[in-house]
Amino acid sequence: MTGDPQSLSQRLATWARVKSPWVTVFNSGACNACDIEIIACLMPRFDVERFGILAKGSPRHADILIVTGAVTRKQASRLLRVWEQIPEPKYVIACGACGAGGGVFQGLYHVVGDVGTVIPVDMYVAGCPPRPDEIINAVVACLNLMKEDLAQGGKEWRRKAGDTDRKETTPGTVAKDVRV
Amino acid sequence: MAEVMVPIGPQHPALKEPVNFRIYVEGEKIVRLELDLSYNHRGIEKAAEERNFIRVLPLLERVCGICSHSHATAFVKGIEEIMGLEVPARGQYIRTIIAELERMHSHLLWLGVAAHEIGFNTLLMWTWRDREAVLDTLEEMSGNRVHYNMNEIGGVRLDLSEKQVEAAQQRLPVLEERIAQYVDMVSHQETMLLRFRGVGKLSKEEILKYGTVGPTARASGVDYDVRRDDPYLVYDEVPWNVVTDSSGDVYGRTKVRIGELSESLKIVRHCIENLPGGPIRVTSAPKAAPKGEILSRYEAPRGELAHFIRTNGTDKADRLDIRTPTLANWTSVAKALVNQNLADIPVIVAAIDPCLSCTSRMTVIDTGTMAQGSISWEELVRKCRARYGTEVQP
Amino acid sequence: MTAQLTMEQVSGALKEYGSAEQVRKNRIRVSTDTQKILSAIKAAQQFLDCDHLILISCTDDTGSFGLTYHLTGPHRTVISLAVAVPRESPQVFSVSDILPPAAIYERQIHDLFGIVFSGHPGLSKLMLNEDWPDGEYPLRKDWKPNKANSYGGAAQGGT
Repeated sequence: MTGDPQSLSQRLATWARVKSPWVTVFNSGACNACDIEIIACLMPRFDVERFGILAKGSPRHADILIVTGAVTRKQASRLLRVWEQIPEPKYVIACGACGAGGGVFQGLYHVVGDVGTVIPVDMYVAGCPPRPDEIINAVVACLNLMKEDLAQGGKEWRRKAGDTDRKETTPGTVAKDVRV
Repeated sequence: MAEVMVPIGPQHPALKEPVNFRIYVEGEKIVRLELDLSYNHRGIEKAAEERNFIRVLPLLERVCGICSHSHATAFVKGIEEIMGLEVPARGQYIRTIIAELERMHSHLLWLGVAAHEIGFNTLLMWTWRDREAVLDTLEEMSGNRVHYNMNEIGGVRLDLSEKQVEAAQQRLPVLEERIAQYVDMVSHQETMLLRFRGVGKLSKEEILKYGTVGPTARASGVDYDVRRDDPYLVYDEVPWNVVTDSSGDVYGRTKVRIGELSESLKIVRHCIENLPGGPIRVTSAPKAAPKGEILSRYEAPRGELAHFIRTNGTDKADRLDIRTPTLANWTSVAKALVNQNLADIPVIVAAIDPCLSCTSRMTVIDTGTMAQGSISWEELVRKCRARYGTEVQP
Repeated sequence: MTAQLTMEQVSGALKEYGSAEQVRKNRIRVSTDTQKILSAIKAAQQFLDCDHLILISCTDDTGSFGLTYHLTGPHRTVISLAVAVPRESPQVFSVSDILPPAAIYERQIHDLFGIVFSGHPGLSKLMLNEDWPDGEYPLRKDWKPNKANSYGGAAQGGT
C-alpha cells in the first residue's frame, strides 16, 4: 500500500475493507469436506454474514481467497491464475491439514504439494476439516492481520529477519520446477 | 445459426468443486457439451497399494468428504470378507446408523444446493439448518462432523453410550417433522414445480443404456438399490423400502431423495431402538489378508459405489479399483442436457448430485450430431444485430 | 427384481467362452480370452439379461494385465468376465459401442495402465493432467517417477 496510512482516504479504505471482506473459495484438489464446512459457515447456524463477510463467485471481487486441499498437478496453474486475478491487497487462507502440509495426500503422484508451494499463504487453519467456527475465526484473524498490514504499510513487517525459506512469488514462475 | 461455445469453470460459483464445461449452444438451447473433470485427481488408488490397511482407511475417507463413511465401509467390508471375519452385530448396527445419517446429511445438502440453483434460497437455508441436527448427532457419536473415521477392520472404533443414544432419539422427532414438511412442500411449492418439472428428463431405457445409478436411476423407475439387491451391514434385518418414481425429471429426483430421507430416518430409528448388546469389534483382527479378490458394492448417497479389491497375503492391498457413482452418472447428464435451456444447466447437473472429488476423471462426450463451427466475435455481433433488426449500416 | 441366476444358467449360456465358477453367493466369474470378450458380453446381454455394467476393473499381474467386466441385471447376480491382456502388446477390443458406460472406464484404464482399446471413439487423456509425459502409466506396478521428467503442475499452459 502506498500513501500515508493516517490520511482520511486511507482510513476510509481500511474501514471499508475490514468491515466487509469478500471471500472466494477455491478447491485445489480437496476432498470436499472443507468446502462443505465453508458453505456451512454461510448458513443460519454459523451465519458468517453478520460479520460482513460475503462469499463471492468471482475472484475479481474478492479480498480473501480460501484455498482448500492439497494442490493437484492439474489445479496448480488454475490456482495461480485465480490468485493473480484477485486485486491487491489480497489475502490467502489455506484451509485444513491438506492445505497446510499436504495432509494424507502428501507425496501422491498427482499432487504438487501444499498451497504454500504455489502461492504465498497468509494464514493456515488446522483441522481435517476445520470446524466452521474455526474457519470464521481464521477469517476474522485475517481481518486483524489486514488492519495491521494497512497500518504498517504492507506485508513486509511480518517477514522475520533472515527468513528466506518462502521466496516472494512472481507470477508464472512458481510451480514450474515442481517435480515428483 | 452457428453454435456458440460457453465455457464454465473450473472455478465457478454454482458448485464448490472444480469442473469445466464447454457448452455449445444455439440460441438458448444446448446442442452438446464437453466435460473436463479430473481437477481433483490425486492418485489415491496408487497410494492405497503402498499403505497398510490401518493407514489406508483414513486415506479412503478422504476420497470424498461427503460420502466418507461409504468409501471406508465399502473397503472394510470387502477386506473382512476376504479375511473371513464375522463382525459383531453391534458393530454392524453402528455402521448402519452412521451410514444412514450420512445419507440424510448428504440428501439435505443436495436439496439445499438444488434449491439454490433455482434461486430458492429460503429452502437452502432451511435444509442446511436441519442438516446441522444430523451433523450434531454424527459429531456426538464419532467426534467429527465430516470425517467420522468409525470403521476398523473387524468392527467400529467407538461404542455408543446410553447418553448418545438418548440424544439422538431426541433429535429424530424434530427431523421427522421437518422432513414431513419437505414432503408436503415438494408437492405444491410453485417455484419447485415450475423449475423442476419436465427438466432434464431421462427415460428408463436411457438410464439403462448409459449405466446410471442411484437416485437418478430410481427417479426414472429403475428399481435398483444395492442395499436390497446385494444386502450388506444389516439392511436385510431392518424394515425399509426402496423409493422410486416414474417421472424421470429433476422433480422426480427431488421426490426420490426426499422419500429416501424419511426411509433413512426410519432405518436410524429402528437401529437405535434395537441396538444389540455385545462387543463392537472382533477381539483380534488379523493384520494381513489372505490372497483373494472381491467386488465390494455399497449404496452411497449418490448411487452404487464399487470397490474392486485384490489382496496378496500381505497387510497391503495389491490393487484397489474405485468406481464412484458420479462417474457412472456423467454420461447421462450429457444426454439430459441436450435441448435444454442454458439456464437449466446448474439444476440438471446438480440433480445427479455430482461429487467431483470422488470422481476426478475427465471425459469428452459428444451427444450431438451437428458439426461444430467457429464464429468470430464481429460475426456474432453482426448476426445478433441482424436477428434483432438492429443492423447498423456502415 | 427377478430370481437370481444359477450356475447352470450361466455356464450354459457362456460355455463356449470359458469355464464359470461360483466365487461366492451372487457372484459368478467366467474366464475368457481377449478375442472372445465382445461376443461374450453380447451373449451375457442377450441370454442372461445383463443390462448394467458395474465397472471394468484392471489389475497388473506382472506378466499381463487382468481386465474384469462386472455385469449385472434384473436378476441382481454379478457376472464377472475376466480376460488377461498380454503386457508386451496391451490391446483389447473396445466394448463401448455395445455398452456405452464402458467408454469412460476404458479411457481411465488407458490412462493409468496404457492398455489400448481398439475401436474406441476417443481414447485421449482422461485422468492425468495435460502435461503428463506420454508413455508413463502410474498404476503399473513397475512405474517409478523419473527424476528427469517433469510431471506437470507447471504454471504455464493449460486452461
